[in-house]
Amino acid sequence: MSAELDTLDQQQALLTDGLRQMLEGRWVSFPSLQADIEALSPGIELAPQPPVLTSEAGPEPPAYAWNPDADMPGQVYDWTCSCCATEYVERGAGAPRGDDVYANREAVVYDVGYPHNVNSAYGLMDGSGAELQRVLADHAGIETKQGWLSYDQAYAIYSVTFGLGSGGAYYHWVVFAGVDGSSLVIRNSAWGYKGIYDRIGRDDFNRLGPWSCIWAY
Amino acid sequence: MSDDQEARITTLQTQQSIMTRALVAALEGRWQGEDSVEAWLYALSPDLQGQLQPDPPVIAS
Repeated sequence: MSAELDTLDQQQALLTDGLRQMLEGRWVSFPSLQADIEALSPGIELAPQPPVLTSEAGPEPPAYAWNPDADMPGQVYDWTCSCCATEYVERGAGAPRGDDVYANREAVVYDVGYPHNVNSAYGLMDGSGAELQRVLADHAGIETKQGWLSYDQAYAIYSVTFGLGSGGAYYHWVVFAGVDGSSLVIRNSAWGYKGIYDRIGRDDFNRLGPWSCIWAY
Repeated sequence: MSDDQEARITTLQTQQSIMTRALVAALEGRWQGEDSVEAWLYALSPDLQGQLQPDPPVIAS
């Protein structure tokens, strides 16, 4: 009887440890839930399908309604891409300034701050896009984060949310509207500029970087 | 059966009951908070308080 009780105690300890391994995200390898099960039942054949952990998951989709298929007319001036992209994000997220896209863009230019923050000589002065973030928050209530992202980081983020970004070698702001296969979907006010249209893949992203990316959360 | 053995059996029965509640919580996606895997784990092993670094599964909604 005593030996059986000792065995039950040991099994209970393994079960308890198994709970701990699940909670701490250790499903396979050692130590892990798999290891505890194999200790409880030597020789058992398992086909583990570990879940996606909180630490592995991407960002939560934002609470905004997002229309990735709004029109993106070509920019009229060669320095207004950042404002065109910002206006698109406002409109795509359900906060258009009006029915006239060109008038909207002009309003964005003045909200960003002409000429001290955006002008015909340099375009957007702060390449991080901080002024665009301010305008998106102030006008449309869209809260955003900013980062200098790798392709994989950008892909993970824009697979669940939307935003805008600019590559250092691209010298142009585009909207990130989602993903399509292995590519990022963009909305581009300068169609064909530097060989980019409405998709950007890993090679082009890396060629035209580094990228300051802004995304809604 | 000795008193000690009876006591150990009672303990094991209680632990099994807690274990079952913990598995229900896991299946129902309650990993932290009230009636969660974490809560039932502390009931099984109080010395784990403050020792864990939870990284639970993402729950599809």
